[in-house]
Amino acid sequence: MFPVIAYLLIPGFELRVALRALPRLALVPAALAPEAGEEPLLGPVTGAAEAAGVKPGMRLGEALATCPSLVLVDRDPAAVEREWEGVLLRLEDAGFAVDPSDQGAVVFETRGVERLYGGVQPALERALAAVGSTWDSRIGAAGRRFTALAAASVARAGQILIVAAQDEQAFLEPLPLSLLPMTSDRYAELEGLGLRRLGELAQLPGGAVAERLGVEGRNAWRLAHGGRRARVRGRRPAAELVEALVFPEAVANELTLRRALGSLLERLLARPERAGRPFRKLALAARLVDGGSWRRAITLRDATAELGRLRAALGPKLSELPAPILELRLETVELAEHMGQQLTLVEPAGEEAVGRLREGLRQVRASTGTGSVCAVVEVAPWSRVPEARALVVPRDD
Amino acid sequence: MVAGSGSASARRSAGRLNAPRAALVETGPGETPRFVNREQVTLVREEWRVVDRWWTEDPVDRRYFEVVLESGRNVCVYRDREQSCWFTQNA
Repeated sequence: MFPVIAYLLIPGFELRVALRALPRLALVPAALAPEAGEEPLLGPVTGAAEAAGVKPGMRLGEALATCPSLVLVDRDPAAVEREWEGVLLRLEDAGFAVDPSDQGAVVFETRGVERLYGGVQPALERALAAVGSTWDSRIGAAGRRFTALAAASVARAGQILIVAAQDEQAFLEPLPLSLLPMTSDRYAELEGLGLRRLGELAQLPGGAVAERLGVEGRNAWRLAHGGRRARVRGRRPAAELVEALVFPEAVANELTLRRALGSLLERLLARPERAGRPFRKLALAARLVDGGSWRRAITLRDATAELGRLRAALGPKLSELPAPILELRLETVELAEHMGQQLTLVEPAGEEAVGRLREGLRQVRASTGTGSVCAVVEVAPWSRVPEARALVVPRDD
Repeated sequence: MVAGSGSASARRSAGRLNAPRAALVETGPGETPRFVNREQVTLVREEWRVVDRWWTEDPVDRRYFEVVLESGRNVCVYRDREQSCWFTQNA
């Protein structure tokens, strides 16, 4: 019996968070503004905007020409981070080991809690209840990750759509190709070939698709068949160590900001929950005077709890603030496990190099996530088929 | 559009080293490569065949070419006779 993989989706999560502060805009044509410095493409849009012909990902100029009354809502990355972390924590409190794939999309297995809640359906109902009804979340569940994601994408708000193993292919066949993670050029190419549905792509020979569309096409073809069957690994719960400083009036002076940062660092270092552990990854967030927010995460080269080194690592980020701020927050994203390094009188040969290598790998893992460090394992070095000689295996130890 | 649906799981599972990658190859006389990924082949250094696992449901029948491209790059390409398509690989 394979585990049931569930995908919980909250469409347009960033826009929903931004609209919490501006609820009146939820009923008018509104869209999340493009990111500063990025291509002017719209983020998620409200129902009223969609009814007026505006679509997510549309060019700003085209969207304003289509709907002149369109209101652009500023992004609020700090609030999005905070609200999303709240959603994940509520799911974890309900017993689910979650693996967030994006803000507004999280995947988890039900195997560990099925007996607790009395089956798959009650467990998923518990997950929806844990997230709450305000987010219009929906769940798709299946034996494979992509099928679960596809099910969640077609489910209505508050709906749980479970696809049985024997129905997976039939379920995927009529769904649109837009569910596949591909570039717009690829969609256009496939549409030019007369392909509209996942089933039509799945019927083509895999070799021909790979030859015509390359690796991306091959991956899309594999997903059209349901994708790989892989287990879900839950994230390591984040430490809740946050310090914030609210200013009585907007501050832009770098000296004041640096002093505020120093004060936040001192307060964070004094927190007893840290139990002497050094910081591996920190995030600096600010509430801007115009109502927006700003956030930067920093992974430290060496985990440290030294005030001077932390100040030197975080200080330069303050110069990236786009506007005067009303609040500065310092969040602990990850703490290192070790308490310090024990010195020895005579270092065994090679020990230092091994220690440094291990520390380096730990830094890479902290900044890029689990599964990013791999080892090459020879399995059949004598084979005449090159790809059968060795495997690349993730190392998380 | 759903972004990165399988990326996290793909990152965490074991993969094959030197896995073949689909290539765009134009051939000349004798089915030897003339262009690899739109780059002209200046020299075919070596050619060999690998026929293996013919007793399984996943047989291997490949014709390998080690070629030098116009840019000076050394590339290994092969034609998979089972799938009738071309791939590049670090052989």
